[in-house]
Amino acid sequence: MKTFGIILKRNTKLFFKDKGLFFTSLITPLILLVLYATFLSNVYRDSLQMSFPQGVTIPDNLLEGCVAGQLMSSLLAVSCVTVSFCSNMLMVQDKISGARKDFLITPVKRHTLAVGYYLSTTISTLIICVVALTATLIYVSAVGWYLSFTDVLLLLLDVFILVAFGTALSSVINFFLSSQGQISAVGSIVSSCYGFVCGAYMPLSTFSEGLRNTVMFLPGTYGTSLIRNHALSGVFAEMESHLPEQAITAIKDSIDCNIYFFGEKVEMGTAYLVVCVSVALLIGVYILLNLLSAKKDK
Amino acid sequence: MTEIIKIENLCKSFGDLKAVDDLSFSVKEGELFAFLGVNGAGKSTTISILCKTLKKDSGRIFIDGEDSDLNPNKVRKELGVVFQNSVLDGSLTVKDNLKHRASLYGIVGEEFEKRLKELASLLEFEKFLNRVVGKLSGGQRRKIDVARALLHKPKILILDEPTTGLDPQTRRTMWKVIDGLRKSNKMTVLLTTHYMEEAGDADYVLIIDGGKRVAEGTPIELKNKYTGDYITIYSVTKEQIERLGLPYQEVSGAYRLKVANTWVATNLIIENPELFKDYEITKGKMDDVFLTVTGKKLTEDSEK
Repeated sequence: MKTFGIILKRNTKLFFKDKGLFFTSLITPLILLVLYATFLSNVYRDSLQMSFPQGVTIPDNLLEGCVAGQLMSSLLAVSCVTVSFCSNMLMVQDKISGARKDFLITPVKRHTLAVGYYLSTTISTLIICVVALTATLIYVSAVGWYLSFTDVLLLLLDVFILVAFGTALSSVINFFLSSQGQISAVGSIVSSCYGFVCGAYMPLSTFSEGLRNTVMFLPGTYGTSLIRNHALSGVFAEMESHLPEQAITAIKDSIDCNIYFFGEKVEMGTAYLVVCVSVALLIGVYILLNLLSAKKDK
Repeated sequence: MTEIIKIENLCKSFGDLKAVDDLSFSVKEGELFAFLGVNGAGKSTTISILCKTLKKDSGRIFIDGEDSDLNPNKVRKELGVVFQNSVLDGSLTVKDNLKHRASLYGIVGEEFEKRLKELASLLEFEKFLNRVVGKLSGGQRRKIDVARALLHKPKILILDEPTTGLDPQTRRTMWKVIDGLRKSNKMTVLLTTHYMEEAGDADYVLIIDGGKRVAEGTPIELKNKYTGDYITIYSVTKEQIERLGLPYQEVSGAYRLKVANTWVATNLIIENPELFKDYEITKGKMDDVFLTVTGKKLTEDSEK
């Protein structure tokens, strides 16, 4: 157990001390913040106002709270996955540096190393994402706070589940990588594409029907929707006193709080189930890959 | 002396390339065993198989009497490896690095602190225990690599070109420590090196080429078998040397003759006493042995 604790400490420490890994993991949230500061907030604000019935207005801080909730959910949905990919790159860097070879000449069990990478990635990513959650909550409180204590707890749960998903997905993909070039390629693809395909940068409602149905097969989409629902549930509750129910439903549809799988509305429980089953399946694949690799080297 | 490493009919191929081709050899306990070969000769492949980081195609390996296939973890505990390039984490401190690697052998807590103190004193790195490995000089980092290999008190130390790029003083310190451990703990050392003077100091030398054994023996046996003796004669003229009718080489005002063996050299001295007033006889070098048996020069460049 002490050995495992030291392995965890080493992996986590290396992630935070390795400036390359650490800052790369922050690139996506930073890009999102810059996009938000430059034009995304205006896009969100304008599209919201356009969805209101003619002549209806809502208080400014409710509008700002809604826009900030979208930013918070987008930022967290993307960070949970991209940060876990960067953090989990340690398993590839250990192969490149020769450290992995150094571990394998010792009597330590391969599964101890594999679980060490998994858990340390979870810990590092959680630390960053909880800090991001706190920062965005502070921002939301400054522009328009409508969250309840339960909403905050549910947001924490969503972050935890999405981090588990990001870690499991990155564990399976990074398992096959063994060079710096591959690290850069996968890092770039994930950073640039994940935000789009999970509906964080652009709402799914703006996609064509075919593309929308395709991304509904990706579990990350459900994670984004969960976070968005919990980030905005207070805002929508408050909106009920200003807007008719149909208008609120239209807004929810337009910003992916309501998502549809081939026309069928996906309930929150189902979304949780999809993400959790995906995590379990990916962990199963990661275990299988490690078992097969150990057998091959025997 | 007992055989601590025994390799029988080891084979390993990568596609059509036979990296190790029916290789057999044994290493005696406490021996300094030099393993020589150019890049691609099969040294690293053999070492990787020995360390259980690479699967062999066929053959058997026994470490301290244990079949490495049947009891791999026991075998791993007996081996310490200094890799060609440092594999420690550059952004962690010396202590953090050693603490992590020690934990992989189950050495934790007070046991680790005690061992760390012993090694820091032995290898003289107490002053930079809390410095980041990436900021150490090449020589300092090498000391830590050696310390890492010795953490679990292995019976066999594998040194894969350990002194490449080190300054002479660090090289001497490293060898002093290793020689001390060999004497006090009967530790066996398996060495691959570019430096022929290091190979010349070994108890036993194995030369491989194309994955096969091409020569083996003690340095003296190899020199006697594959090279001749050299007589360097001082204070003589070129005409006097030419009269001997032997191949010679002019070396800084002296003349260096190559003779088949020491017996021939002795006869030459007896027959030409007037020439041998100031002279020296030396054996051939390990470089000459290597060139004779493989037809290749073992230099750093050939390895790169």
